[in-house]
Amino acid sequence: MTIKSRPVYSTLKIDLSGRRHLLMIGTSGVSRDALAPGVETSAFDEQWTIASNSLAIPVPDETTTRHSFRAEAHLLIALRRRLKDERMGLRLYAIGTEPFLWNVRGLASEFGMTAEEVQLYATGSAARRVFCNHCRTITSGVTTNVFQCSGCGAHLFVRDHFSRHLNAFAGVQVDAEAPGELPDIEELYL
Amino acid sequence: MITSQPLAVRVRLIEPLSPTLKRVSLEHADGGLLPTSPPGAHLALILPGEKRQYRNSYSITTGADQRSRYEIIVRRTADSRGGSAFIHDELRLGDVLTSALPNSQFPLQNRARKHLLIGGGIGITPLLSFLPQLRARRDWLELHQFSTRQEASVFEKLLDPFGGHDVHVNVGRQAVALADLLARQPLGTHVYSCGPKQLMDAVNDTALALGWPPVRINLESFGAFGGDAFSVTLSRSGREIPVGEHESMLEALENAGVQVPSLCRGGACGECLSTVLDGVPDHRDHFLTTEQKAEGKLVMPCVSRARTPYLTLAR
Repeated sequence: MTIKSRPVYSTLKIDLSGRRHLLMIGTSGVSRDALAPGVETSAFDEQWTIASNSLAIPVPDETTTRHSFRAEAHLLIALRRRLKDERMGLRLYAIGTEPFLWNVRGLASEFGMTAEEVQLYATGSAARRVFCNHCRTITSGVTTNVFQCSGCGAHLFVRDHFSRHLNAFAGVQVDAEAPGELPDIEELYL
Repeated sequence: MITSQPLAVRVRLIEPLSPTLKRVSLEHADGGLLPTSPPGAHLALILPGEKRQYRNSYSITTGADQRSRYEIIVRRTADSRGGSAFIHDELRLGDVLTSALPNSQFPLQNRARKHLLIGGGIGITPLLSFLPQLRARRDWLELHQFSTRQEASVFEKLLDPFGGHDVHVNVGRQAVALADLLARQPLGTHVYSCGPKQLMDAVNDTALALGWPPVRINLESFGAFGGDAFSVTLSRSGREIPVGEHESMLEALENAGVQVPSLCRGGACGECLSTVLDGVPDHRDHFLTTEQKAEGKLVMPCVSRARTPYLTLAR
């Protein structure tokens, strides 16, 4: 069964109609399958990566094409600053886990970029951010079909219904009718 | 399907703005409020000329909040096909005209982060209808109107109620370099242009070359009708109808008594879409896709013409 809201990702191609191409990498290293055949990372004007390391210091040099950030939050703050000053003609690309991709995509939307200007490719962990439909808490890193909400403790079933706005999958109480009656728990999102 | 329900409007005011421009204010013939006219809407009027009836579409310059009247601004041109000359010479206060309901093929893009408006000459008219809403919402905008020296004061006056540091009337096309203007626009900008074909082509080509996605480029053509004469053959009856240099294919068909549904008459709405069986169309519309145009099997007779001396339509 497929749900319309479930994002579908394609490998990244350089959009030749754009003038500047910015690649955000949320994983360690670029997996070859993230890029369409024939596309090299050198085709992007800039690559921003996450070092997950406190020694990473981005160089404030406009001619540098590779920037490394301490962590995702660090990269997103720099991206916000960048998009604020950017001009029409930019194309944004992102490779990484879904929560990372939609953080990047959310920032792009905030600055008016639309689907024509952004390409995303999901790779790495499939763990989900899940929104509790009952208490509205978002729980990160969910790998099972049913889990306990970190906010209200309800047992939630993880749906494929994805909210681009919240950057989270929908979670609904699984034992509302018969409290305590849970289906078999499976690791589905690794 | 776009329906063209008729509306009766009465002329309440005719004001000359310049030797060739007149503003016509229309109210509901039965009194009361007019239907809301969305930003960028046009009014398809039926004008009862002495020799024949003209159907012309004019942009409504008043905003969506203005329901007591619609205003249009009409330019009299030397090669007028009749409708605009009728408005300038024969239309009188109190006259009642039939029109279709206002319809917008040039809407405001409500999710734009910034609106860049580029008008040329009388192409300012649909842009004027955007301004009440943009100002009321305090949206980010930049307007450049290109004008001849003689008419600059007319456009300045029209823009005066919406004036600000972001509204500019430029004398001559060279006053502002389009490439610089389009290159410095922030992410999330929509550009809207209405004016002479050369201006809109320049906006379109320059923006595309600078990496603007096509969906951010909004153009409103008021039709370049003229061209070489050709003839249209109708497949069902075998009738051959000549199309003169100064009339559109749609007008030629209508004058010959052929019923063709139409609405915007400017190549935007798709209402008059016709199937081509033979001949090569000269596409001038904004409705068909590039692929459809290349295929040459469909044509919009309101603005498009023929590259061949003849065109056969399935009608």
